[in-house]
Amino acid sequence: MHRFWALLKILLINYFGISIFQMKTSKNRKPYFKKIGLVLLIIVALAPTIALYVKLLVRGFDALAPLGQEGAILTLGIVLVSFIVFLFGIFYIINFFYFADDAQSLLALPLSGYQVLGARFSVVLVNEYLSALPFLLPPLLVYGIKSGASVLYWLYALVGFALVPLLPLGLATIPTVIIMRFANLSRRKDLLKILGGLVVIVLAVGYQFLFQKSGPNAMDTAYLQHLLTDRSGLMNLMSRVFPSTRYLGLALINADQLSGLVNLLVFAGLSLLVVALAWLTGDKLYFKGLVGSTETTVKRKKLSEADYRRAGKGLPPLLSYWAKEMRLLFRTPTYFINSVMTNLLVPVLLTIPFFIQGRNQETTMPWEKLLSEPRGQTIIMAIIVGGIVFIIGSNAVTATSISREGRELYVSKYIPLSYRKQILAKLLSGYLLGMSGAVLMIIAARVLMPLDNYLIAMLVGVTLVAVIPVVEAGLLIDLYNPKLNWENEQQAFKQNFNVIFSMLLAILLGGGIIYIVIRYIHTPVQAALFILLGFGLAALFLYYFLMTWGVRRCHELEG
Amino acid sequence: MIEICRVSKSYNRGQVKAVDDVSLTVQGGEIFGFLGPNGAGKTTLIKMITGILNADRGSIKINGRDIKDSPLEAKMQFGFVPDDPNIFSRLTGIEYLNFMADVYQVSSEIRVERIQKLLERFEMSTAAADLIQSYSHGMKQKIVVIGALLHNPPVWILDEPMTGLDPRSSYDLKEMMREHADAGKTVFFSTHVLEVAEKVCDRLAIINKGRMIFCGSLEEIRTHARENRSLENLFLELTENA
Ligand SMILES: Nc1ncnc2c1ncn2[C@@H]1O[C@H](COP(=O)(O)OP(=O)(O)O)[C@@H](O)[C@H]1O
Ligand SMILES: [Mg+2]
Repeated sequence: MHRFWALLKILLINYFGISIFQMKTSKNRKPYFKKIGLVLLIIVALAPTIALYVKLLVRGFDALAPLGQEGAILTLGIVLVSFIVFLFGIFYIINFFYFADDAQSLLALPLSGYQVLGARFSVVLVNEYLSALPFLLPPLLVYGIKSGASVLYWLYALVGFALVPLLPLGLATIPTVIIMRFANLSRRKDLLKILGGLVVIVLAVGYQFLFQKSGPNAMDTAYLQHLLTDRSGLMNLMSRVFPSTRYLGLALINADQLSGLVNLLVFAGLSLLVVALAWLTGDKLYFKGLVGSTETTVKRKKLSEADYRRAGKGLPPLLSYWAKEMRLLFRTPTYFINSVMTNLLVPVLLTIPFFIQGRNQETTMPWEKLLSEPRGQTIIMAIIVGGIVFIIGSNAVTATSISREGRELYVSKYIPLSYRKQILAKLLSGYLLGMSGAVLMIIAARVLMPLDNYLIAMLVGVTLVAVIPVVEAGLLIDLYNPKLNWENEQQAFKQNFNVIFSMLLAILLGGGIIYIVIRYIHTPVQAALFILLGFGLAALFLYYFLMTWGVRRCHELEG
Repeated sequence: MIEICRVSKSYNRGQVKAVDDVSLTVQGGEIFGFLGPNGAGKTTLIKMITGILNADRGSIKINGRDIKDSPLEAKMQFGFVPDDPNIFSRLTGIEYLNFMADVYQVSSEIRVERIQKLLERFEMSTAAADLIQSYSHGMKQKIVVIGALLHNPPVWILDEPMTGLDPRSSYDLKEMMREHADAGKTVFFSTHVLEVAEKVCDRLAIINKGRMIFCGSLEEIRTHARENRSLENLFLELTENA
């Protein structure tokens, strides 16, 4: 066990950088303040969203209280967090268990599988607590305060908070470890691991989806009645995704009774059981999924004359530079997972909550009514464009495009390709990936709701322009202060503040569009014109800035 | 031809003077060696010639094109082999070579032939389809050398090119440098090994702690060394380093 703690400490220090551990001793407080500033910035950026969430919870509480079902807001929070932890967990685990550079070096140490896996699991867990906080804290507080809960409730809430991420993270670990074990058998390991990650996510989502479908339909009248009359009806409905979450909900509601304690114990037992299962699986499989995972296959095959001709067709310099970028993006697992997959995942993530409701032909969804009038169409349009802006900001393709070059930056400096063209090539990568995310998002929207072709055409048109300034802004952020000094590709992404800045910017921009359009604009055509004009002007301005200051900055940068 | 005129460069806001007021001219048709112990400032100077670093002071011209005023034309003039060949490990050899050919705008007829010829010469034909990641240090070095020669550059700049090459490839490389110079082109390379410099160069410069101590032919340096004690000391140091 001693070894386990030693390892955990090293991994934590490694992951969170110098931060907490060295700050106390170091005299130079500047980076410290920088980090605090950043945290404050994140809080400010998230504040409006959280305020909205709290408002919804309070309303929900008031609406459900007469039915005696106010406890449902707790379940809502717990289920939401479980789901987020589960999906993020798969990403964290793939990234941190398999693609971290120190993964290999740990193989040489006298540690057993579960020790290494356990230590890494714990680091991921710390991350998950941070992600869970904004989602779980509000419902716990709202319920506790509004129901005038006892000390015991607060105690249970605290324990519950600590327990919630365990089960979904354990659930995410098991299939990932198994699939990675087999992916490692193949010859194209990188590729297969990426595909493995995708498979896990698809399976997970598919499972949730089927699970939902098999239950009674939420829109069935008799069932609705039961939902509303049975005291824990709503809670049962929501907790179907993660059945165990029910016990925590019951524990909190009945905190003052013995049944509360029993439920809490059941929940804790289930959570720990799943974690134990995950560690056990990991003990058997983790190392096997790692050994030799950086080996690449070597064909050593002689190329034929035809191969040379095919490869040697030639591209204009700018396009060739762009193609090189795209190849590196798609072939480097860290880049692929964090950039390309974000594009795919966000639309899926946004779609899931609607699928969970289950959809059938007779009943109409609330937004279907919305879509029948211009005001509603405007709102939907704003939300979709805002969502797209958010995706593009979070894939950080351009916001890491200089950072990703790292020590190879010198190549860009000595080749006879102007910085102007290099900037254009980088914008092109970001634009194309961004547009692919946007198209997926529009498709997801079309699946969910009956958008008419006219509206879809307008959305596509608006998006074609709206993507540009977001992509440009990302590149400017990275040009201003690229992270070039990294040892492994993980750091170029995971320890790069530019990614966070780009996401924050996207939240502000996306939120801004949604707010302004919903507040002041009433028809889709006006909204489209407004967004086109605003983003078009921003695109031109930022382009000018990139071509002047940006080019100068490229010249100044010395790898 | 490379013309370097009173070039200086310091790191860390002037705390480390890496290159201090260096001037030299390399003519076409010669192999010019740039000799100095580790940390002498060789890489720094080469990075300034190639436009990777900006000089604090002074000017650099490659075949008459100033690297600061007309960088693209200047960059077209040379092929560059860096000291650290760890590049684009996720491209295959052939992809890398075609990328280089694209940037230097080598037409597709010419490149197909040249790539094949050079790969064969360095015995890299069978590795070209594999990821650079799977190459040994020497193989990476070779693929970079090939990449630098695709546009048949009038000036060839190499930073410590022999390190990591096996004797056979090292010999081949020297031979190619000779051929290049004999065709009237310029070859400029750095090394910390006196022996290498002695065998290959027509002329050489010795640099230590950022300052150029000597510039001339091998003959001149030998006579000079007998008269001048400090130069001899440096020579010793260099020999020991090798
Ligand atoms: N990026 C850098 N930052 C600070 N100092 C550097 C940097 N690169 C090189 N130096 C310093 O400049 C001097 C010359 O280095 P370099 O040109 O690499 O020498 P050489 O190639 O001859 O071995 C050395 O003292 C080295 O420590
Ligand atoms: Mg050097």
